[in-house]
Amino acid sequence: MNQDFDADVIVVGSGALGSNAAFELAKLGKSVIILEAGEHIPRWKIVENFRNSSNKGNYNSPYPNEPWAHHSYDEQYIENTGSFEFRPGMLKLVGGTTWHWAAACWRYLPNDMKLKTLYGVGRDWPLEYSELEPYYVRAEIALGVCGSDTQDQSGQGGGAFPPRSSPYPMAPEGDTYLFQRLRERMAPAGYHFIHEPNGRATEPYDGRPACSGNNNCMPVCPIGAMYSGDVHARHAEQAGAKLITDATAYKLEKGADDKIVAIHYRSSTGADVRLTAKYFIVAAHGLETPKLLLISEVANSSDQVGRNLMDHTGQGLQFIADEPLWPGRGAVQQGGIFNRRDGEFRKERASVKHSISNNVPNIAVAKRLIAQGVYGKELDERIRHDAARWVDVSTVYETLPLQTNTVRPSRTRKDALGIPMLVVNYEVGDYVKAAKSGVTEDYAHFVQLMGGTVVEDNTGYQNRDHLMGTVIMGANPKDSVVNHECRTHDHANLFLATTGVIPASGTINPTLAGVALSIRMADIIAREV
Amino acid sequence: MGLLKFPLLALLLTALPVFAAEDTDALIEKGAYVARAGDCEACHRTAENGGAPLAGGYVIDSPMGKIISSNITPSKAYGIGDYTEQQLADALRKGINAKGQHLYPAMPYTSYQGMSDDDIHALYVYLQQGVKAVDQPVPETHLAFPFNIRQLMFGWNLVFLDNQGFVPKPGATEQTSRGQYLVDNLAHCGACHTPRNALMAEDNSQYLAGARLGGWVAPNITSDKVSGLGDWSEDDLVNFLKNGHLADKAQAAGGMAEAVENSFRFLSDSDLHAMAAYLHSVPPIRDPGQTERIVRDVKPVDMSALETGQGDQASLADATGLDGARLYNSACSSCHGRDGQGSADKFYPSLSLNTALNGNQANNLVMAIIAGIDRKGADGAVNMPALGGDLNDAQIAAIANYSLQTFGNPALSVSSEEVTSLRRGGDTPLLITAMPYLLWGGGLLALVLVIVLVLWRRHHQHLRAVEAKRIALNRRFHSN
Repeated sequence: MNQDFDADVIVVGSGALGSNAAFELAKLGKSVIILEAGEHIPRWKIVENFRNSSNKGNYNSPYPNEPWAHHSYDEQYIENTGSFEFRPGMLKLVGGTTWHWAAACWRYLPNDMKLKTLYGVGRDWPLEYSELEPYYVRAEIALGVCGSDTQDQSGQGGGAFPPRSSPYPMAPEGDTYLFQRLRERMAPAGYHFIHEPNGRATEPYDGRPACSGNNNCMPVCPIGAMYSGDVHARHAEQAGAKLITDATAYKLEKGADDKIVAIHYRSSTGADVRLTAKYFIVAAHGLETPKLLLISEVANSSDQVGRNLMDHTGQGLQFIADEPLWPGRGAVQQGGIFNRRDGEFRKERASVKHSISNNVPNIAVAKRLIAQGVYGKELDERIRHDAARWVDVSTVYETLPLQTNTVRPSRTRKDALGIPMLVVNYEVGDYVKAAKSGVTEDYAHFVQLMGGTVVEDNTGYQNRDHLMGTVIMGANPKDSVVNHECRTHDHANLFLATTGVIPASGTINPTLAGVALSIRMADIIAREV
Repeated sequence: MGLLKFPLLALLLTALPVFAAEDTDALIEKGAYVARAGDCEACHRTAENGGAPLAGGYVIDSPMGKIISSNITPSKAYGIGDYTEQQLADALRKGINAKGQHLYPAMPYTSYQGMSDDDIHALYVYLQQGVKAVDQPVPETHLAFPFNIRQLMFGWNLVFLDNQGFVPKPGATEQTSRGQYLVDNLAHCGACHTPRNALMAEDNSQYLAGARLGGWVAPNITSDKVSGLGDWSEDDLVNFLKNGHLADKAQAAGGMAEAVENSFRFLSDSDLHAMAAYLHSVPPIRDPGQTERIVRDVKPVDMSALETGQGDQASLADATGLDGARLYNSACSSCHGRDGQGSADKFYPSLSLNTALNGNQANNLVMAIIAGIDRKGADGAVNMPALGGDLNDAQIAAIANYSLQTFGNPALSVSSEEVTSLRRGGDTPLLITAMPYLLWGGGLLALVLVIVLVLWRRHHQHLRAVEAKRIALNRRFHSN
């Protein structure tokens, strides 16, 4: 290592993406520093916090919301100026927000990455599926993904798709009774039920035990069977990376030749530190990464930083089926219906994924019954009855990158460190709205097939916490922030490890793609430092 | 006659390759089994998990320092590709490699010395022809003075290496004799389960009575009904060896988990039964002071006493608490239950009917919390996460003490300092702690004197033992 630098590479953020990049680099002998705004909190403590929480449905509540490291459910932290209340669950601690995810590890389809070329809408990815594929394999190995090697994940009932060069690291978990019964009754109507590849160990994997179905993936897996970013934060440290907690990055310092020369961070004690490195990776979440670039006034010659904000804006359906299905056994979700994942219709309207939720529904069931005035013995009986038959469908829409959907640093509100908080402006686009009638049709059909009684079939649009587009990837430096390597067009030594780079959202949870891109960027950086 | 003999021999020799071609596959298969039973892979694996079999490089953290296992693939440059069968036999039985250097007794040649010629032959054929050569060097072992002087092992071997080969115990049946051969020689159970004396040799007066190593306890496996395996059925023992666990009794962890994973789960039922039958014949030795295994009647903790609501935001990140009940219920109860009874199917073991908690030592409880358990058995793989990184020593002591008080032997307790010591690998042998003084005091001479003294004593014991064995053998073979 060059003595003139504090490290070869500094990574901002210890979540799944930053930690995987850091680990790959440290493994190759590079000196790496990871900066993390939050603290290290052991799993048992988060479990304790969850049990002590009076609001079990608030997935952020077991995690600290410190004045110098706010989580996203802090009322002040994200100000919304649009009509949609954009509020993804975002955490600040070692390991990041994958502490509470449902570990969905889908791959994009080749067509998802060529949306503009094939369907004339949105943007293309600046790389092909085949280029990303080997890194998908490595990401699946890193996260310990279990999945089916035989299903058509495009939802069309064909052979195994998308193409894979290597089988999933682990076989899928057994089908829950809920999933089996829904499939038995709904598949004959043409709905293809697809198993969700997921980062839950089905056999011991990388120090993680096999999932035992605590059904608590969100807000915390109590036994660590589900992958979370702390796994690779730990691996990175074991491989020699230095992890600094309570270190909020607030400035990327630009040098003479458009290279980034240093990063500045501040701790809750007020101490400011400047660190130098040859390369910098900002892996600070899809909202915080563009904020850091904007307040540092870097990487934004395209004026695209903080624009094109996408989520898989969703909606939901709850109904009570005519037979006991026993939701809540096993993991919180297991797959769903992908019939509307791809096709010519994408020229006009968004693709759609229906996911079957498998949460223990007792809280939702009880709340509803109490609101209806059901009490006493009848309440107990009705909770048992309804909870056994509860069906919860969580739907997501593909969204398009819109210039007007933005995340910005606040001009008025600052956190305890004096660093600006966030302002989001988000409107649900016409491409999504055009697909809604198809979803309404599906919902009616699902309810009919299951002899159901609707609880809620028009929830309005909902957050799905899948941040994309905010530091958009593209071939043209004039209309994008990073190139296909995730290297900023403006600064050759600044890379962004965030799902915020994703230019075409598809309908699938983007974390696996983010990890694949992070491993790929680590390979690229390792060749240069 | 003399003239006739030679052509016949020549004929036999030319015919040999035909037979050999047929026999080699069977020999390789047998040799592979011998390698499994001898658990070669446990040590001769690579430093990283998932490396090429038998390629070596794994670091054995011995009390004398880090010993690096050798490459025993047939690589001519870095492995044992140039070994003759005799050289392999010498390494196995005498602890001397092809260069004539003494091996450290991390290589269990004191056990392997009893290996049969047939097994060594099969193992040789397997290692030369059934294993893929890995042309990769492993780092040299460099122990600190005086252990770097391999010649010291010469004297040690004179004293401690029993070189008589396999001698069945008096009264052995065919089955227990096979079991004894497996237990004492191939599987080298005593290497862990028999305590070692001041000079690090197995103390045969405490044969299989249990020993501490690397923080863990290799438990007493004599036939004692309280401290050992006397109340286990033969099937219990076979199932334990094969699967690595036995419901409401025990689970293999640490080195035993490795032995199950790399060796026992692959052994034939008849061999496992032979081992079990032999172990039942091993004279009982009671752990000092132990009179019973504790069986507790456990009531689940009232969670409302523990779930008292969240404190302020800073408290959510404060992981310094030392309340054993809270720590247990946050870190352990998701699998083992609030009542410590595990799951109904016993996949998650009971903590009350469990030798790690109801015996007379808490080392394995503490070590399982620190290092976790990771094991493949014949009936599947299990993992208990290692919590040593998430809990400090005082917290581990608090969980151990809560668990012992609530589920296990309440007479036991663990201090934070003991956890610290176990985390570092447990008690250091006297030989190591005394070494600076020995060296300082003109030490080597003293050491040599000690060896000579012991040697002299052992020599007499040895002669007596040989005589006793001869008599026993005579008795056995003339009694029918």
